Amino acid sequence: MKLLVIEDEPSLLESIIQYFHQEKFVCETAGSLHEGIRKIEDFQYDCIILDINLPGGSGLQLLKYLRQNKKGDGVIIISARDSLDDRIAGLDLGADDYLTKPFHLSELNARVKALIRRKYAEGSSTMELGILKADLPSRTIKAAGQQISLSKIEYDLLLFLMTNKNRVVSRRAIAEHIYDGPSEQVPSFDFIYSHIKNLKRKLKEKGCNEIIQTVYGLGYKLSL
Amino acid sequence: MSKSLQQKNTHYFLIWLPFVLLVGTLLFYVMLSMHVHHMQKKQLELKQANISNALITKPDAIAWHIFGEYDIVKGTPIPSDRLSEPRDTSIFYADNKQWVAFNICTKQYSVKGVPYQLTTYISSKEITHLIIKVFIAEAFIFVLLLGAVVIINRKSSGVLWRPFYTTMKRLKEYDINKNQSLQLAKKTGISEFDQLNQVIANLINEVNQAYSNQKQFVENASHELQTPLAIIRSKLDLLINTPHLTEETARLLGDITDANDRLSQMNKNLLLLARIDNNQFPEQTGINIAELIEKLLVYYRGYYDEDLPLIRKSVQRDIYWVANFSLIEILISNLINNAIVHNTPNGWVDIQLKNNELIIENTGYSIAGETDQLFERFKKGREQSKTTGLGLSLVKQICHLYQFDLQYTYTENIHRIRVGFEQIQAS
Repeated sequence: MKLLVIEDEPSLLESIIQYFHQEKFVCETAGSLHEGIRKIEDFQYDCIILDINLPGGSGLQLLKYLRQNKKGDGVIIISARDSLDDRIAGLDLGADDYLTKPFHLSELNARVKALIRRKYAEGSSTMELGILKADLPSRTIKAAGQQISLSKIEYDLLLFLMTNKNRVVSRRAIAEHIYDGPSEQVPSFDFIYSHIKNLKRKLKEKGCNEIIQTVYGLGYKLSL
Repeated sequence: MSKSLQQKNTHYFLIWLPFVLLVGTLLFYVMLSMHVHHMQKKQLELKQANISNALITKPDAIAWHIFGEYDIVKGTPIPSDRLSEPRDTSIFYADNKQWVAFNICTKQYSVKGVPYQLTTYISSKEITHLIIKVFIAEAFIFVLLLGAVVIINRKSSGVLWRPFYTTMKRLKEYDINKNQSLQLAKKTGISEFDQLNQVIANLINEVNQAYSNQKQFVENASHELQTPLAIIRSKLDLLINTPHLTEETARLLGDITDANDRLSQMNKNLLLLARIDNNQFPEQTGINIAELIEKLLVYYRGYYDEDLPLIRKSVQRDIYWVANFSLIEILISNLINNAIVHNTPNGWVDIQLKNNELIIENTGYSIAGETDQLFERFKKGREQSKTTGLGLSLVKQICHLYQFDLQYTYTENIHRIRVGFEQIQAS
């Protein structure tokens, strides 16, 4: 999978690249609008991660250029601007997703994967990981062929951990991912504990013991 | 005690004007009497001249005595020091049996060597009556004048001060939070008020400018903070995934992560506050509050699971607010979330939505410090490091934006927040 990250903050760019390298993505980078445009002219990418405030102009110009030239690369905007208008402007111009800074890399990862799944893997709407198999349209997960009965939150939680398999995902990242209340007001993530507890119990019943580990006080990790 | 300008003005007039009028009246009386005396003296002298003339030219043809007109006496019965000056006397009229006041004057003449004394009479009754009548008329006119002055003054000051009251009304309506410019009349027709309006307009402009700069600064600062926060967050995401973390470093990382998350949340809330201040939520829709509360409770039931306190509610279903949906969602979710988070074990939350009020009560520990500061930015009820201290100030700001009346009371471990609003029926 080929990824282009257009971001003018070198430090943030480096973090993103490092994370996606570990996910076996081939990553290209651009630090300015013109560099970005040059790159999208030369190659096609599966996903472009696009900052809005760039040296040389707005990331939205690049997006406009991309869509005018009928290029179908998936685009996820990462921006410090989080008002509804900014979101609408981005999505109207043909962005596939919009993520506000500061974001968790695990969240960006989940968004990128979801986008790629939507765009390119039309037939396969399942995600397999060891003995776990998620059927996305019906929102069910089976363990070794047996369906696990999950609440909505537990399903979102497990899928998020599966997407970020073998990585420590912070509790905050989980809380923000599964919370779909008012966007600005994520409640404290204490509520995660009981959901993880229930999820672990349900997985244990299906014979998947210990696949979710608690990593000190930092977060959780699903490894298979 | 302060009185209105008009009352004060009338008050002064009523104290000083009668005094001035009284002095004026006395002066008028004195002058009138002086003139009358002078006139009578002249009349007496005229009579003297006419009669003495007749006496000298035709002494035999003239009557010696006419009652109430004159007396001619031979010889000098009246001492010379009483001659020439007018004197007062009175004469008895037998017909209607009454004494009548007269002014008399005696002069001495000599006809062919014989001395005569001539006394002329003028009745002072009529002139006294005239003085009284003039005086009464004058008093009546003065009272009329007093009334007229007071009334005209009241009317004219009402008209004169009208621009002032208009300006005052505008100033009362002015609200810096709404970022409105103040429109004051440039030409009021009175130069002092023109100047006043000009000075106020300049002042308001400067204040608006300063306030808007400050708001803009907060918004820009918050935006600029997002990028470094994003860098820290991404580095932490990488760091917690490095192999062979020791428990000690994990603990340190955990603390840094928590602090950074709080910082991010605080920054988000500050940005939101700044955006509300900058009127960046203009879209409005009719929102069914009962439905919104129900939806939020479903969230919270899902998230807090068994940690959720007992929630009682009695909501009226047909209540609509016309407002920005995101803001109202933030308002109500902050209130409910607050009631859930700051609760006691085995506590409860009670939500009531009635015709014109939303009341959220919950059990909780007492709050240290002033309760009216609870809604100020960065004020926390209890030392809870996990909160940003901005949740309730967001509530306050949103209530202020939509002119909801926000009240907080605490009695015996029960916190009560009341949001008063005017019911709008959605058609």
